[in-house]
Amino acid sequence: MPTWSDLQPFIVSGLALGGVYALSGVGLVVLYRATGVVYLAFGAVGAFGALIGWSLIHDAGAPGWLAWLVCIATATVLTLAYGMIFGPALAKRDPLVKAVATLGLTLILFGAMDLLWTTGGGQSRSIALPTDNGGFTVGQVQVNWTQVIGLGAGVVIATGTAVFLRYTKLGTAMRAMANDREITAMLGVPVRRVEAAAWLGCGVLAGIAGLLLADLVALDATTLTFLVISSLAAALIARLRSIALTFAAAIVVGLVHDLLTPVQALTNYRDMTPFVLAAVALLVISRHRVMGVD
Amino acid sequence: MAATGARRRIRWNRPQAAAVAVVVAFSLFGLPELLSLYYVDTMTQVAVYSIVALGLGVLVGRVGLYSLGQSAVLAIGAWVAARLLFATSLPFPVVLLFAGVVTMAAGMVIGLPALRMRGLYLALITLMLAGAITVVLATTNFPNGGGGFLGYNGSNVHIPPIRRPSAGGSDPAYLRYSVVVAAIMFALVYLHVRTRPGRAWAAIRQSEPAALAAGINTTLYKLWAFALASFITGVAGGVLAGASRYLYSIDFQPQDSITLLAVVLMGGAFSLWGAVVAALLLQLLPAVLHNWGVPADWLTILFGVGVLQVLTTAPKGLADQVPRDLGRLARLLRGRRARSH
Repeated sequence: MPTWSDLQPFIVSGLALGGVYALSGVGLVVLYRATGVVYLAFGAVGAFGALIGWSLIHDAGAPGWLAWLVCIATATVLTLAYGMIFGPALAKRDPLVKAVATLGLTLILFGAMDLLWTTGGGQSRSIALPTDNGGFTVGQVQVNWTQVIGLGAGVVIATGTAVFLRYTKLGTAMRAMANDREITAMLGVPVRRVEAAAWLGCGVLAGIAGLLLADLVALDATTLTFLVISSLAAALIARLRSIALTFAAAIVVGLVHDLLTPVQALTNYRDMTPFVLAAVALLVISRHRVMGVD
Repeated sequence: MAATGARRRIRWNRPQAAAVAVVVAFSLFGLPELLSLYYVDTMTQVAVYSIVALGLGVLVGRVGLYSLGQSAVLAIGAWVAARLLFATSLPFPVVLLFAGVVTMAAGMVIGLPALRMRGLYLALITLMLAGAITVVLATTNFPNGGGGFLGYNGSNVHIPPIRRPSAGGSDPAYLRYSVVVAAIMFALVYLHVRTRPGRAWAAIRQSEPAALAAGINTTLYKLWAFALASFITGVAGGVLAGASRYLYSIDFQPQDSITLLAVVLMGGAFSLWGAVVAALLLQLLPAVLHNWGVPADWLTILFGVGVLQVLTTAPKGLADQVPRDLGRLARLLRGRRARSH
């Protein structure tokens, strides 16, 4: 078994990763609550944005801040465009159909990324944020600012979203739509505009998550596309409902994943963490009631 | 009840039966002789994946259960078959049967608790479980003639190929073998669809409460669908093991399950022909494009567009849309001719 001092750095990286999962998970939950769409392309649009940002820096020599903005903007535009075109077209269909349709977008982006940024010849990409270099130490552990941003962004987004949903007019409209789209529309809420706002917010979060994960983990189409399954796991543990629970679950997923890294017997299996936690949570939750009826 | 059921079952659709006979005969006697070795291998893959698509089609089209983890199920079948083929000298068909049964057991272990979930949650839990299985496979690797339970020897220099049946030693012979296995699996599913389970599944797909009210044991029949789909996918895994001769865990990725669902939806999950169309899309098209020097990524993009198109405009897939549109075209042409006379 690893000693306490072995585990310390992994607590830091786990919390940072958990923070990014949390902000992605919150994005997924808000979009699902407002539109009924489980956005499985969340990771793919983030990765697409990050790769465009990478190209701007490496091929066009653009300054970093511009690349980051373009990264977030790309993810936002893609998400909003998808939401505007296919959201209304599929609005009356089963949540399952809506989720599977986002897999179509995932495949399109996945193919495009593989075509444009082939990972041949062992070439690996990454986006380095200036916050990687600065930092401080807690005990004997080095903490860099990107990790702080990862966790901080998670905390800020989760609290901000919870407050937004509770106290603003738009947030109230979103909560109303989560309960019943038809009745909300009848009460005079501009349903399409509220949905667009949800897609927009989700896209911004996808861009931020893609950027942070490209720094914290790796900039690789497959990795980023499927890393977001971890955020989905957190959202599922919260039954696509509670913001607070999503945040807590995301932190746990990130922590457990990284804390297993130094454990010899389990290190190869650490990538199973989100899958196993989500599967167990779903099974436990569904023990007493049939899920998916609501 | 049983008698009327039997009588209804015998009523064959003549053109359909003739088409099936022609396709099977051509695949058995035409394809292995006519094609180059490259396309013989490709068509073997088509045969294998038509079974996999058929299994997913049963779940999606018949019962309305979406699985996003079929490539993991296929991997289990391939793993079991490869392990048995290295460890024992059992005849190949027996190994296939074992692979099917073990995979069926695994599928039911997954399916039993998952049956309490519906729609979206079920799809997502299969995605999660498939991810987990992929991680395990990446660590355990596929058997390559080593000892122990896992049968993997990391330091093997001369890795023996996976054994093939005596009737399918050469590549063309193995294509025939695969076609026969696929035909048997299609017949098995056809029998299910045309008899009591098929009617129960149709009722469940329409409305589960209504099916329950009509006295259908919905849990039993949903589990049955899971078992059937896992069984035939496991058998397909066994055929795949013999076809590839060497298996690697990187060949089974979670994104393959997504592509698989995409082609099954595009081919048409409601018809058995859809499974054949799906397999051709998934295996033949990339091979043709590869021959032309076109990157396979264009296909991934095409499948993505296809999913969106099918879900928004043609829920029954190409296997329904193309004949229907051709029929419309024929009617249109006939109408023109009638007017001109």
